[in-house]
Amino acid sequence: MKLAFSAQDEAFREELLVFLEQHCPPQARTTRDMIGSDDVDANGVMVIPQWAREWQATLFDHGWMIPSYPRELGGRDATPIQTMLYLEALAQRGICRSLHFGGYAIVAPSLLEFGNAQQKALVPAAIRGDTVWCIGMSEPGAGSDLAALATRADDKGDYFMVNGQKVWTSYAMVASQCFCYVRTDRDAPKHRGISLLIIDMQSPGVEVRPLRHITGQAEFAEVFFTDVQVPRDNLVGELHGGWRITMGALAHERGGLWVEGVAGCLRAVDDIITMVKRLGLQHDASITGRVARLYSQSRSLRAMGWKGFASFAQGSSAPEHYYMKVAMAELQQTLYELGMDLQGAGLAITDRAVAQEGGRWQAAFFNALAATIGGGTSEIQRNVIAQQVLGLPRA
Amino acid sequence: MDFSLTEEQRIIQQTARGLLARECPLALVRSAWENPAAALPLWQDHLRDWLVLAEQSLADTTLFMHEYGRALVPGVFFSSLLAAHAASTVGHMLSGAATVAVAASDGYWTPNEEATKHFVPSAGQVEHVVVVSGSPQTPRVAIVAAAQLAVTEVEHMDRLRPHYRVQSDGIDTGHAISPMAWQQVVHRALVTTAAELVGVGRYLLDSAVEYAKQRQQFGRPIGSFQGLQWQLVDTALELERAAAAVSWAAMCVDADAAEAPHAAHSAKLEAGSAARRCARTSLQVHGGIGYTWEHGLHYWLRRAYAGDAFMGPSDYHARCLADLLFAA
Repeated sequence: MKLAFSAQDEAFREELLVFLEQHCPPQARTTRDMIGSDDVDANGVMVIPQWAREWQATLFDHGWMIPSYPRELGGRDATPIQTMLYLEALAQRGICRSLHFGGYAIVAPSLLEFGNAQQKALVPAAIRGDTVWCIGMSEPGAGSDLAALATRADDKGDYFMVNGQKVWTSYAMVASQCFCYVRTDRDAPKHRGISLLIIDMQSPGVEVRPLRHITGQAEFAEVFFTDVQVPRDNLVGELHGGWRITMGALAHERGGLWVEGVAGCLRAVDDIITMVKRLGLQHDASITGRVARLYSQSRSLRAMGWKGFASFAQGSSAPEHYYMKVAMAELQQTLYELGMDLQGAGLAITDRAVAQEGGRWQAAFFNALAATIGGGTSEIQRNVIAQQVLGLPRA
Repeated sequence: MDFSLTEEQRIIQQTARGLLARECPLALVRSAWENPAAALPLWQDHLRDWLVLAEQSLADTTLFMHEYGRALVPGVFFSSLLAAHAASTVGHMLSGAATVAVAASDGYWTPNEEATKHFVPSAGQVEHVVVVSGSPQTPRVAIVAAAQLAVTEVEHMDRLRPHYRVQSDGIDTGHAISPMAWQQVVHRALVTTAAELVGVGRYLLDSAVEYAKQRQQFGRPIGSFQGLQWQLVDTALELERAAAAVSWAAMCVDADAAEAPHAAHSAKLEAGSAARRCARTSLQVHGGIGYTWEHGLHYWLRRAYAGDAFMGPSDYHARCLADLLFAA
């Protein structure tokens, strides 16, 4: 147990920092909890600005997009520990790699593991951001119970006929491809009748309706499929074998997310300390005590993430990582709520000209409300921990 | 920060676990409650040798203390380890049973001129007392033979680690040390205590989880009920967070990092809160059986609360942390 990493790993970090200094555009340093970022259009609907496309391509071309991958996939064969240093360095500076994580974080690893040669060929563009992907998972009737999904794909020999609806589909309005989970066998037990298709979003019968969320912006959409014909070659993995790929996809999504979440919490704590001082509240023990406990929790969560990583890297299971999502999501909400509470009666003001710090705390709070719902609700996480970590019997 | 354990650290962990499982069964805990002398052979035959931990990294100490807390070891090792740290500030190598007397009636380890020192663990069972006096800016450390001091036991929750009031009037106040040197003693003591508390919490949580799997009501294990599962999950989360806080603090103190004071207070506050929560959850999950004296769960519950109180409870350490954060 020691604070510092090896000289080689520290050198890796140095090289990254030099790269960021030279290439990272200022827009990419805008943390996503700020209002007024330029990744929405006049109607609040998500767009991908040119700087974001160029930035993602630059990362790829320099081997800094997914460092653990080989050169041709936008990486540099980094070790697991270097990957963590990379994620932490970016997160500490509030730098985002890409405005759409579906392609590089879910599609790429899933295709590399399960795709055929033709499908694997789609991977570099997905990682470089040249193609934008959305992930068709949740449906109106399949949220926490994902395996209940009902979008059906009927086997027509050389194509599938797809009918149904997806919802909470991030980036659907800017995506050219959908990584879509569909039901191919309605008689089999629900986990065994699911397949994964690549659907071209330009296909006749695909309709996208942006879905405004409570922040007022639309990053999500509803996607409707009506008699959409999907070539058989677009089946990923085995017919009816999609559930296995889903589980892998969710694991990929969660792998390094804690680093970003923790860094967000640490930044929020630092910013709260600054705001407390600026507002002259540093002698109010009821406030400073709350801040101190949140400081302690945030630092401890970061340590918990790294501790889990060490077990994982040494080949043991890492129960810590199961706890990270639920703990961070709830901590984020608490932090942003405190940021609003510091403003007294002004906590409800969202007028950017009047609110403290341009209303960023209110915006961040609304954003963070999604944290305990998306990617597996906190309730589902608790059930999973009870059964898989503590080994308690199923209800 | 690299949490991976060295081979030596794995050996410390495994050796301690094996030793304490073998030599400190619940029967010994029960006997020591009735008579502190029951814990003497364990100290003399085994634990005294482990005082070398005082000269090793704090990370090593936390691994040992985690197992120590889990086994709820009675006796003088804990106070002797803290005393060995404290005595080293004046170049003294203590290798016997000892304790530290510093706190005034508030219980905080702030050097002060009060003649009566409070909350002194195991003072009635040790050979030497490290008496700390002066002020936070001018701390003084004296190593005093216990026989020279009047000690009075003050009944408290955890009789497995009896607490005493110590009269230090008229003693030679020893040597001046730097405020920084004293702070390092405090940080080591906080992290050492916190590591023990995580071990105490670990036992309480593990036993609750096991019981929830075994105990049947309404024709099924009570651990299958979601209301109970979530209590255990939230408790486990708090404990894992505390365990990480302790390891991080140990690394910070070992590296003499700028954040070491923050981390030490954080570790104690996280571990104290977590151990208490584990105690309450465990008692609740065990239901009526855990409330009996005979079952023995209460011994761990007592250590959890007494350990949180030692050197000041969680709220106090939150205040200390706030002072550090808002000082500038």
